[in-house]
This record gives sequence, structure tokens and C-alpha cells, in this order.
Amino acid sequence: MPNLKCIIAQAVKEIIQFRRDTLSVKLAFILPMFALIMYGFATRLEAKNIPIAIFNYDNSKLSRDFVDSIFATADFIPSSYNGDNVIMPLLKNLAKASVVILPDFSRKILSNNTANIEILIDGSDINNARIIKNSFFALTNLYLIQEKLPHSISLITPVSRIWFNPGRKEALFIVPGAIAVVTWIFPALLASFALVREKEQGTILLLYASSIKASELILGKILAYFIIGYLEFLLVMLLAIFLFKLVIVGNIVIFLLNSVFFILTGVSFGTLVGTRVNNQMATLQVVGPVGFLGSMLLSGFIYPIHNIIYPINLLSYLVPARYFIEALRNFFLRGDALDSHLYITTFLISQGLLLIFLAVNNLKAMQLNK
Amino acid sequence: MLHSNFFALLIKEFQQLLRNRQLLYFLLVIPLLQQFLYGLALDPEAKHLKLAVINYCHTKITRELISLIIENGVFDLKVSGGSEKSLVNKIINGDIDTGIIINPDFERNFKENKIAQVQVLLDGVDANTANIANGYLNQIFFSYGSSININNSRIYPAIVNKATFLYNPGLLASWFFSPGVIGMVLTIIGILVSSSALLSERETGTLDQLLMVPLSTGEILLAKIIPLIVVLFVNVLIGLTIGYVFFKVPFKGNLFDFLLVSFLAILIVLSIGIALATISTNQRQAMLMSFFISLPLMQLSGAIAPLESIPEPFQTLSLLDPLRYYIICIKGILLKGVGLDILWPQILPQIIMAVFFLAISTHKFRKQLN
Repeated sequence: MPNLKCIIAQAVKEIIQFRRDTLSVKLAFILPMFALIMYGFATRLEAKNIPIAIFNYDNSKLSRDFVDSIFATADFIPSSYNGDNVIMPLLKNLAKASVVILPDFSRKILSNNTANIEILIDGSDINNARIIKNSFFALTNLYLIQEKLPHSISLITPVSRIWFNPGRKEALFIVPGAIAVVTWIFPALLASFALVREKEQGTILLLYASSIKASELILGKILAYFIIGYLEFLLVMLLAIFLFKLVIVGNIVIFLLNSVFFILTGVSFGTLVGTRVNNQMATLQVVGPVGFLGSMLLSGFIYPIHNIIYPINLLSYLVPARYFIEALRNFFLRGDALDSHLYITTFLISQGLLLIFLAVNNLKAMQLNK
Repeated sequence: MLHSNFFALLIKEFQQLLRNRQLLYFLLVIPLLQQFLYGLALDPEAKHLKLAVINYCHTKITRELISLIIENGVFDLKVSGGSEKSLVNKIINGDIDTGIIINPDFERNFKENKIAQVQVLLDGVDANTANIANGYLNQIFFSYGSSININNSRIYPAIVNKATFLYNPGLLASWFFSPGVIGMVLTIIGILVSSSALLSERETGTLDQLLMVPLSTGEILLAKIIPLIVVLFVNVLIGLTIGYVFFKVPFKGNLFDFLLVSFLAILIVLSIGIALATISTNQRQAMLMSFFISLPLMQLSGAIAPLESIPEPFQTLSLLDPLRYYIICIKGILLKGVGLDILWPQILPQIIMAVFFLAISTHKFRKQLN
């Protein structure tokens, strides 16, 4: 059985050592907050202020009104392009769509015919392309109704109710995801660096020779970096609540339990990597891709998780961030439906314990080989 | 002047670089992993949303409406029937994403030419997906509602939109992400590899020996840089090949243009890496700092989310992001087939930045050597 005193002594030593490299300490706390700001502010998918180039070859009141109605919405702004090549603004990246109003626009409308409007959309921006098409569909119909022109009438009227995020504010979706990504990667990196540095500097041999057990060494390191990681986590949470005005609606006890085990998965994953590899560069090779790619792309951070295609979607079940992002969204958006989200806590606890177990066992194996 | 000493040194640097297994891993595995994961895991489209329907009006019209909604894969019908309360509970628990309730008087209203309401309940946690789903439903209600106008004959609207998606007609996510990933991988790997190439020499102390070589510091630096440029070109071409072969991303433009803008991008990331190496004292610091730099470069580049959507100060900041210009360039070359004549407003800032960063980093490097 590992001795608790030894574990704590090891953890204290680790924290003292960590504090010596002042630049790394600063980075360890500034980087996660910086990353949160970058992810939180600069990941936006909602379409607004999309530049549109207008080519109005029918200079009538009708067509001018139509153009006004395009820019009356917050979605679109006029493009700075003012030549007469309809493709050029798209090629030059000055507009996401070119709208062409043909010379017979008002004549056709006034003679009760149908006037066509050509909309050329830059499909290389997949986020905006479909939204542009749908918005034009809606605004054209609105324009016809306002101008009392013939328009399709649909008696089917949807009455929408949106749960949890009635303003459809995107920050409320993105920021919880960003918290999980950031607070997994950085503690994992620090923990793995710590163990590998002992190897690089050869001090691990002293540890092998001393009376400390492998399990005590590993648990001590995990404890130390758990404390550092959890401080990072709290800092990031406070910043997120303050900057993005998140409101806590969930159960705080369950959330704290989830967060403890989530940070543990990161730290023990980092430690596990540290037991396997022998230099810091190699550490980065493992923690970097697993952390960034796994927790960013396979966790439902940006796009819905069920959009990931088979069989890659199976990998996402292994990613702790997947569960913790749900926990964060419950905490800040959904509120609690305790019974249906028990799986989050179950997965996080079992992943945390499994990773600690693996990390402890890995170093034991190494010691026998020496 | 370049002479045989220089070539000897150049060959030594090449050998040193290629002997580094970790470097090869970064250059080969990371672009592969990133291209595949981004191409396969990220998909902004709304699809397979879990739908529950309560149809109180069992008629042909309502059944047809429902089958239209679930026709093209956006919604999967999970629950049919049940009480409104259980439907709301399922949304709150996250068991379903969208609920539709059709009132018993739906068809009667419809036949009496009155508004027939459909209730739509949406889970707004994922604001972006909720928006897309809502827009999609509205369009179905509208087109179905106007196509079966029972009382009056069909009205032809005065204006019809003809929208065309250019450059990515199928709105394939992989075509959007592949060029962006080439740029992102180059940024991460370029900064990391170049800073560590210089730092490892300093950490092992061989940099002092290098100073004994009868060459100027400029030539020593050049001998270091050339192999890095070559391997980063290989890295870019690997990304390009994967996109081209596996995701069938078109290459409409000119290979020379592609290589030219890539050369500029490589120079920029190299100089950032060199500057980083001169200000950090060990590899761990350099690695943490490289995260610090790569993250905003990637987030503000428009590689993942459209730049129009991000808040104003960040949009302005993105003008300083060299990756932004590089990604616009390669998207233009690959998808739109444009050349330097159109891309020069994007290339000019890259040239300025390349010269600027190169000047700073060589200056710093020389100062450190002397």
C-alpha cells in the first residue's frame, strides 16, 4: 500500500520545483486564460455582417427598395467592390455572394410576370453559404408581402419555442466547450513535462534508488499537478463567468464532482504519457494531438457530435472532454436533470481512475526492467 | 559568398534534421491526422437531429408534412406520439433535439383558409444547429403550405430567387477544412520545429562549436534555415496531397502560385520560430510559447469559423494574422482557381510580414551568437 505521507511529500516537492521556473509558472496560468479568450471570442458560426455585392441593372424604385430590404437585416452589409464583373467580388474575397437584378426586373413585376434574381454564393465558405440562401428566401418573401406583390401564401405557420438559450447566443454554446478543451490540455502538458524532465535530467534514477515506491511517486505527481490543474480550472471558470456573463443554473455539487475527475483524467493522462516517453518533444507529440485534436474535434465542441462519421465517432466515447462539455452545458444552460445525466459522472470517474491505475502500473513495469 | 564550407555545413544540417525521428513524425503524421480528423469529424451541417412528433390531427396532409420533414436526413424521427409534457421533458434531458406538435384543428383551419399552426420546440443549447434546423423547418412549412393551397389556384410569386453555390457546389465540409488545415499544420509545426532545431543545438552546447566554423553568422543561419524550408515544403505538399487524393479537393489554380504563397508562409513561421528560440531558455518554454503564438494565429485565420462572425476588435486583430492571408490565398488557388493578379492584396501583407519577421529574427539570432 502506498504511504500517504510519501505521496504528500512528493507532491510538495513537485510544487516547490514547479514554482522555481517562473516563466513556466506564468505561462501555466496565463496560457489557459488566453486560450479561453481566443476560443471564446473567435469561434463564432452565426452569420452576420456578411458582405454582399449588388449588381442592380434595373434602376427602378422597386429594385432599389429590394436592395434596401437586403441590407435592412443584420445579416448582410454591402461589399466594397464596385466594378461590374459579377464573379470578381467572390474571387477577390470581397463578398460572399453576388446578387444580380436583371434590367427587366420591374417591368416583369409590373406586367404580372415573375422576375428572377440571380444569387451567386461563394460555396467555399460552407458555414455561410446555406444561411445566405435561406435568408434571401425569407427576405424576398417578406419584401413581396410588404410591397403587396403576388407572393406564395402558406397557411402553415410554425410557432417556435427555443429551450435554454432563447436568444440563441452562441457564446453560451462555445464557451463551455472552450473551458473543457483548455482545462484538459494544459494540466496534461504540465504533468507530462514534469515526469519527463526527471528522466531528461537523470533525477529519476535517484528516485528509483530511494525508498519511495513507484505508486507513491506517481500519485504524488498526480496530486501536485491536480492541484495546479484545478487552480487553472477555477481561474478559467471565473474568467468565463465574468467575461461571457454565464449564469449558473445547475447543481454545483455534481458539477464540482465532475470537474475534479475531469481534471484528474487530464493530469493522469499526462503522467501516463510521461511514464512512456523520454523527452519533452516526444511528450508534446502525444499530448498535443490527443489533447488538441481529441478534445477539440471529437468532443462536440464546435459541431454536433453526431455529425462525426462512423467509425471515427467511436473514438469520441474515449474523450473525457466529450462528457465534461455536456456537464458544463448542463451547469450553465440546461440546469439539472440529474437522473438522465448520471452517465457523465460515471464515465468521468471511471476514466479518471483507469488512467491513474495505468499511470501507476506503467512506472512499476519500467522499474523492473531497469 | 557561398563556398564549399557553406555546403558542408548545409549537408550537416540536413543530415542532422533528417536523423531526428520526432521531426519526421511531426512532418508526416500530424498533417495526416489533422487532414483526416478535420475532414471527417467536422461537419457544420445539421443532420440526424433527433425529432419527436405529436400529431393530434391524423390526416393525409399532416402525415405527408411529417414525411417531408424527415425525408432528407436532417431529422431522424425518434418518438411519435406521447404527451406534450413528456416531449418537453425529453428536450430538457437532451433525449431529443426538436419536437413538433400538430394541433387537432390543423386540417380544419387549413381547409377554412385560416392560419394552421404547428408548434416547434427546439433545444437551443447549440445555437447554430438550432438556427439551421429552424430555418429548414420553416422552409418546408412554407413550400408545402403554399403548394397545397386548397382554395385558390396556385399563385406565382413576383420574384423568384435563383441561388447557385459556386466553387463548392456540394458544400462539402472537407473542401472547406482541407486548405485551412494545411495552413494550421504549417503554423504549429513550423514554429515548433524551427524553434526546437535551434534550441536543441544550444541545449547540447554544440552551438558554440558552430561558431568556430569559418563562416559568417548569416551563413550559419542560412544553412540552418534551408533544410527547414525544404522539410516544411514537404509538410505542405503532404497536406495538399491528402486533400486532393482522399477528399477530392479540386486544384483549379496554378502550382507555381501555390508554391510561391507557401514559400512566404514558410518564411514567416520559420522566423517566428527562430525569434522564439532566441527569447526562450529551454525547450519547454519554447513549446509553451509556441502554443501561445499558434493559437491566436489559428483562431483568427478563418480556418474554422468565418471571420465575419467574430467580434469587432478580433476582426481587426485578424488583419495582423499572416495565416489569414495564406488561407485566403490557398482557398482561392485550390477552389476558385485564381492567380496572383487577383490575390496580390493578400500576398502583399505576407511579403511585408515575411521581411519584417525575418529581419527581427536574424537580428536577434546574430546578437545572441556574437
